[in-house]
Amino acid sequence: MLRQQRVKTVWSAPAILGINFGQSYASIAVIDKEGHPTCIANEEGERQIACAISYVGEQVYFGNGAKPHLVKNGKNTMMGFRNLLGHTYDEVDHTAILTAPLIPTSETPAYTVDILIPAPVPSKTATPASRSAAASGTATPVPAPEPVPSTKTLTVPEVTTLFLSTLFTSAKDFLGVKPTACVISAPTWFTPAQHEALRDAAQKAGINILQVLDEAAAVLVGYRVGLSEERKQRGLLGSPEEGDAGETEKRDKKVVVLDMGETSLGVSVVAVSEGEYTVLGKGREDKLGGREFDNLLLKHFAKEFTKKTKVALDLPCGESAPDADKRAEAKLRLAVEHTKRSLSASSGAATCAVESLKDGLDLSSAVNRLRFDGLAAGVYRQVGSKMTEIVNAAGLDLVQIDEVLLAGSSTLFPGLQQHLSLLVAPTTPVTAAIDPSEVIAVGCALQALHLSNLQEVKIGDVLKLADQPVDCLAQPIAIALPGSDQLVTVIGSGAPLPVRRRVALPVEKGVEKVALELWEGKDEVKVEKVEREKFEPEEGDEEDEEEEEEDEEVKTPVVSKSAYLGLVELAGLKGENVLLEIIVHRGAGVEARAWEQGREDEAVKVEL
Amino acid sequence: MATVVTLPLTLTAAPSGHSAPSKGKISSPVKLPVYPAGPSYISAAKRHLLQRSFAEDDEELALEREAAAAKAREEANGEPYPGLGEEVEHKDLLASDPKEWKKQDHYAILGLGHLRYMANDEQIRIAHRRKVLRHHPDKKAGANGGASSGTTNDDAFFKCISKAFDTLTSNERRRQFDSVDWNIEDEVPDPKRVPADKFCETFAPVFAREARFSKVQPVPGFGGSDASKKEVEGFYDFWYNFDSWRSFEWHDKEVNEGSDSRDDKRFTEKKNKSERQRRKKEDNTRLREMVDSVLASDPRIKRIKADEKAARDAKKKGGVSGSATPNGPAKPMSAAEKKVAEEKRKKEEAEKAEAEKKSNEASKADREAAKKAKEAARKNLKKWKKSISTVIAASNYFQPEGKAPAASTVEKQLAELDTLVELLEPEEVKDLKEKVEAGGSGEPAKQALKDKVAALGDKASGKFVEFA
Repeated sequence: MLRQQRVKTVWSAPAILGINFGQSYASIAVIDKEGHPTCIANEEGERQIACAISYVGEQVYFGNGAKPHLVKNGKNTMMGFRNLLGHTYDEVDHTAILTAPLIPTSETPAYTVDILIPAPVPSKTATPASRSAAASGTATPVPAPEPVPSTKTLTVPEVTTLFLSTLFTSAKDFLGVKPTACVISAPTWFTPAQHEALRDAAQKAGINILQVLDEAAAVLVGYRVGLSEERKQRGLLGSPEEGDAGETEKRDKKVVVLDMGETSLGVSVVAVSEGEYTVLGKGREDKLGGREFDNLLLKHFAKEFTKKTKVALDLPCGESAPDADKRAEAKLRLAVEHTKRSLSASSGAATCAVESLKDGLDLSSAVNRLRFDGLAAGVYRQVGSKMTEIVNAAGLDLVQIDEVLLAGSSTLFPGLQQHLSLLVAPTTPVTAAIDPSEVIAVGCALQALHLSNLQEVKIGDVLKLADQPVDCLAQPIAIALPGSDQLVTVIGSGAPLPVRRRVALPVEKGVEKVALELWEGKDEVKVEKVEREKFEPEEGDEEDEEEEEEDEEVKTPVVSKSAYLGLVELAGLKGENVLLEIIVHRGAGVEARAWEQGREDEAVKVEL
Repeated sequence: MATVVTLPLTLTAAPSGHSAPSKGKISSPVKLPVYPAGPSYISAAKRHLLQRSFAEDDEELALEREAAAAKAREEANGEPYPGLGEEVEHKDLLASDPKEWKKQDHYAILGLGHLRYMANDEQIRIAHRRKVLRHHPDKKAGANGGASSGTTNDDAFFKCISKAFDTLTSNERRRQFDSVDWNIEDEVPDPKRVPADKFCETFAPVFAREARFSKVQPVPGFGGSDASKKEVEGFYDFWYNFDSWRSFEWHDKEVNEGSDSRDDKRFTEKKNKSERQRRKKEDNTRLREMVDSVLASDPRIKRIKADEKAARDAKKKGGVSGSATPNGPAKPMSAAEKKVAEEKRKKEEAEKAEAEKKSNEASKADREAAKKAKEAARKNLKKWKKSISTVIAASNYFQPEGKAPAASTVEKQLAELDTLVELLEPEEVKDLKEKVEAGGSGEPAKQALKDKVAALGDKASGKFVEFA
C-alpha cells in the first residue's frame, strides 16, 4: 500500500500518453505535473525514436539502436512497416534495398529474419552418434552448447505491436505507472481498415487506445488552434512578417497543416471555427520527405569525396550497384542524419565525417546553411508547389490562408520555413512554435487528456459523430451597415452546424438607434494590378520591399455580398456597446439577437 | 461559453428611408468531414448528444465553472489537509537537539505522528510549511521581544524541522528512517495464547504493519476466519517469499570526520556493512519465525485440515457403501451414474431446505409471541410476589387478632411463598395474586394459597407446612 501511495504522489497528474507513430520516427508525450503535455525521451535519451527493429543473433535492437545495423545486417532489420499496416502483400511496394525484404508467401506483409536461438539443453537420452563416440572411448569434452541458427517470421502487425510495446514501456518507466489512456496518430491518408489495424496492433501491445487520431488533427490540437486565450498564454502563436496575428488569433480561419516527415509530405487545408476543425482538402506526396534532403546531401558529399580522393563514388546508388557502394551509402546515410540535424539546429557549418567510406578512405567535410539551401531549393519549391496545388484544389487561394502550421522534423529547416512564408500573405504566420518533430505527440497527449476528462457521455459516441461528413456552413455570414458595401464576417464558412457567434460592436457617440444588415457573403480574392509608373512616385520609399518582389498583382481576400438575409434594429441606446448574437441552426435556419451591453433581457430577436 | 469578439465596425445612426434590398435565402449547408479532435469538438458533440441548445449549454457550463471556481477557492483559502501538522507539541519534542537528529522522531517533529509511513509527499510538504510558519526564528525573536535568555537555542527546533523535512523528502533517506522507525510498535502477541476466535483480528493488523516493508504491493490480506484454503495458502506463501526493502543504514556509525585516515574510514565502513547485513538477516529471521509461529497455531489451517479429512472419510465411506450394494463388488460408479446421484442428492437437499425454511417461517412468529409473553410475565413475577406477601403481612400472617406473629412463623411463611412462586408458572402466580387480593386479608387469602398448593399435588408434597 505504501509504495503505491508514494508512486502516486510522485506523479500526481493523470497517466496519459500520446504516441506519434510515424513511418520513420516515433515520439511519445505525456502530461506533466502542471497538466501540460510534454514530449519525453526514451531510456536511450532520444525524443525521436526510429521505427526500426533489428535482430542480431540472439539480440533484438529497437529504435535508434537498430538503425546502425542497417549497414551490416540490413536483411534482418525491419523499418518502414507502418504504412504496410492493413494492406495485403500485393497492395504494397515490396522493393527493399537495405532493410529486410517482405516475403511473398504470406498474404499479410511479413518479414523473415535470421536469429539465433539458445541451444536446447542436451537431452539425457544420448543420440546414437554420441553413443558410438562414447563406445570408441574418445574422451572428448562435451562442447558448450552453441546457439542454433533459425529463422523467425513476423507479420507487419506483429512487428508494430512489438515496436509500440517498447514505446509504451518507455512511457511507463518515465511515469512510474502504467499509462491509462492513450491516443495514437495515424497519417491523414490512412483508410479506416488501416486505422483498425493500427488500433488492433496497439491494443495487442497492452495500450488502451482511446482514439486513432489524424496527424493533422493532432497538430491542430497540439497548437490549440482556435482557443486563442490558451494559445496566447502558452506562447504558441506564430510570428508573421506583418499584422497582429502574432498577438491575437482570428476566431474563424483557414489553416494549412504541412507535415513533412522523413518519407512523405502531407498537406491538409482546414477551416477552423472557434476550435472546431473542418477538413476542406488534403493531399499527400509520398516521395517528398526528409529522404530527399538526405539524397541531396549524399550526392553532395559523394562528389566531395570523389573530388578529394579520386575514388569514384556515385550516390545514391541503385540496386545494381556494387556492394561497396551500397555499404558506403548506408554509412553515409547515418552520418548525414547528424549533419541534417545540426543544419537545422545551428546557423554555422555542419560537418560530416565518415571513417573508411570507400576503399579505406575517410570522408571529412562540411556544408553550411547557405550552401545547403542552394542544394535544397528544388525540394523547397516542390513542397511549395504541392501546398499551392492542394490549397487551390480546396477552392482557396494562398492569400486566404490565415496560418501555416508545421509538423514533422523536415520542416525544421529555416530555409524551407522562409520559402513557405514568402508564398503566403505577409500577415500569415508560418508557425513552428512547438518543435515540429514533437507537436504530433504533444497533440495526441492533449487529445487523450481531453477525452479522458469527458463526463456524462461516452467517448465512443462522441467520436462516432465525426465518422460521416457533417453539415457545415457553405458561405460566411457577415454584417453590414445599411447602405454600405463594407461587409464584416461574423461566421466563417466551413463552420460545423449548429454554430453560434457573439460579437460586440462599438456605437458612435450620441446615437440612439442603429440598424444592421445581415448578409450571406462570399469569399473572394480581389486582384489589383499595380502598375509601376503609378506606384513609384505616389507610395514613396516605404513600399520598397514590395517593389523588389516585383509583384505586379496584389491579391487581397475580401467578402462580397451574395444574399441579403435580414435587418436587425435596436433603439434606445445609452452609449454602451451593442452585442449581436447569430445562431445558424442545423437546418440552416438563422436566428439573430441584439442587445445593448448589460441589458440582455431587452434583446431584440429576429428569425430569418 | 460564447466568447465575444469586438468587430472593427462602428455603428452609426440608422439612415432613414433606406430601402432594404430584396431578401435572399441562406444557401444550403455543405457536407464536410470534421476532425473529431480538440475541446471545441468535444463540447459540440456533447451538446448534440445531450440535445442541449446553446443557452442550456451556457447554463450548464456556468454551473460547472462555478463549481470548479468554488473548489479552487476552497483549495486556495481552506486547507487541503485540515489539521495536518497541528499535533500537540510536547515540551521534550520542542527541546529536541538538532545535533541528535538520528534520534529524533522526524514524523513527530512535522506533526505527522499519526500518519508516519503513510504520509504522502504532499502531506509532508504542507506540514513542513505550517511548522516553518510557526517556528521560524524570525517570528520567535519578535514574540520574545528580544528579551530572551536562551537566544542561542532559539532556532534549534527550526533546525530539527529542516532536518526532518530533508530526511522525509528524500526517498532514500526516508526509506532508511522508515526501516527503523522505533515509534511503530513491533509487538507480536504469542500465537499460542491467542484464542481461536480472536486469532484473525489479532494478527491481521500485525501483518498489515509488516506489509509496509514489502517490495511487492498490494500485499494479500490476512483474511477472516472463514477464508478459503486458497486464500490462506496464498497468504502464507506470500509471507514465506517476502521481499523486504527494509534496510539498516540508519544505525550506521558515523565515520569520524576529524580523522583523515583512510584506514579508519574503511574500517568503519566495513563494520557498518557487516552490521547492516547482520541486522537484515536478523530481521528476516524474525519475520520468518513470526510467520512460522502464526502458521503453527492458525485455527484456519486446522479447520481446513479437518475439512479435508472429513471429505476424505466421506469419500472412503461412500466407496465402502458403494461396494456393499448388491450390484456387485467394488464397481465404481460411472460418471453418468455419479452425476445422476449427485443431482438427486442435490435436489433432495434443496427440497429439504425449502421445507425446513417454510416450517421455520410459519412457527417462528408464534414462538416469538410466546417468548415475548413469557418474558413479560417473568418481569412481573417479583411484583406479584410482593403484593401477595403484602396481603399476608396485612392479615397478620394468618395469626389471631392482636397476637404478634413469631419470627419463625413469618420466615417460614415467606420461604414457603417463595417455593410456591418458583413451582408455579408465571400465569398461575398472576392468578393467585388476583385471588388473594380479591379475597382480602385473613382467611380467604390463606384459602386461596392453600388451593394453589393443593393444585400442585405431588410436586408440593412435603414442602409446605403453613399453607398445606
